[in-house]
Amino acid sequence: MRNHWLVTFRSVTFAQKGERLLRNRGIDCGLRRTPKELSDRGCGYCLRIRGQDILNAVELLRENQLYHGKTYVLDRDGRPEEREL
Amino acid sequence: MIYLDNGATSFHKPAAVGIAVAEALRRCANPGRGGYEAAMEAARKVYECREEAAALFDCQPEQVVFTANCTHGLNIAIRTLLKPGGRAVISGFEHNAVTRPLHMMGVNVTVAGRKLFDWDDTLTEFEDALRRGADAAVFTHVSNVFGYILPAEEMAALCRRYRVPFILDAAQSAGTLPVSLRALGADFIAMPGHKGLLGPQGTGLLLCGRSPEPLIAGGTGSESARQTMPDFLPDRGEAGTLNVPGIAGLAAGLGYLRRTGVNTVCRREHRGLEECVRDLRRLGVRVFAGEHQAATVSFVPAGDCEDTAGQLAKLGIAVRAGLHCAPLAHESAGTLDSGTVRISFGYDACPGQNEALRRALTRCPSLRG
Repeated sequence: MRNHWLVTFRSVTFAQKGERLLRNRGIDCGLRRTPKELSDRGCGYCLRIRGQDILNAVELLRENQLYHGKTYVLDRDGRPEEREL
Repeated sequence: MIYLDNGATSFHKPAAVGIAVAEALRRCANPGRGGYEAAMEAARKVYECREEAAALFDCQPEQVVFTANCTHGLNIAIRTLLKPGGRAVISGFEHNAVTRPLHMMGVNVTVAGRKLFDWDDTLTEFEDALRRGADAAVFTHVSNVFGYILPAEEMAALCRRYRVPFILDAAQSAGTLPVSLRALGADFIAMPGHKGLLGPQGTGLLLCGRSPEPLIAGGTGSESARQTMPDFLPDRGEAGTLNVPGIAGLAAGLGYLRRTGVNTVCRREHRGLEECVRDLRRLGVRVFAGEHQAATVSFVPAGDCEDTAGQLAKLGIAVRAGLHCAPLAHESAGTLDSGTVRISFGYDACPGQNEALRRALTRCPSLRG
């Protein structure tokens, strides 16, 4: 897995709930604004997650109905590219 | 001042509440609207409060919608479940926060169960009304006038049996009695933040067992490109900027309750109530007390209620007189003409309060007419 990924959420509350869930399971992540190009409905928040944790993180988010299926890997220049997991 | 009007609002809040409000004013910008530190700090404070409330009321954080007060939450809930011309069942002890929205909407209302402290009557009448058919039921957990604790769990079970959606008004019970959104299976539970939850005025919670119809529409910080309100909680019920300082204070109040325990608060308040009822009976006034009573008691003096409360205020005792915004409850108890004097204990109830009240009552000319 590459270094960092983004998982987007529909609202700040769901992103925070996801952040709490992952941190409680020992997965480090950072809450931030979703880049404009990834936010087709306008405004949103995402979690930045390390590549080594992304599979576990998505699985946990799925189990807790917090995953809406939008995951992006960041390239060397920090540009996001959508990936299905 | 000896403050015994906790049914209106808790007044002497835990110190952490004021500190949290001041801190939020200093450090918090608009939550869910930006990515800079002050906006994120606001979002953290708001989420902290959602988590505290979710833990206390047995629900998910996103099911906690912030409102301006309990009335606001009740209006959202009532307008979600009922339409003009619809049929609602309510208890005989409802506050105007329930009856006025129903009246304004032109809902047909059946009042069920009007005997104070009588669970058999409440449940029998309530079931009869549900059996006749209703679009929704709205009932208070505790009468704000008499402290009557209604059999909420049994009433909730009846609603589920007859498949009638329901709203619980927890204005007087939140923070002093156990309340579980999950166990009750309620469609909505509305409560103020500033009474038993010990937060600042201007705060309230609506616990949502289903998606509410927005009472107002506007910015939510989510799905901004769309002109429809988001279809997910809590954003659907939270248009506009939240009261972040108030919510931060509410989180501190909830934190105090978590550390102290609702049952401890309940026991403390109840000791105050029992002593007070004994004192009032000795004084020979008409006291409304019975089984299933929270820490609120009403009495009718021989003289005027307002005069009695006024005389007590001059002696440094804060109580409330009149109809307490609940004429239906007075109609049920037969006190619509006189009103009552209401004494309501809070989380800081202690024997000294009753001692001061006792002394003051003996010096009230209007007590004996």
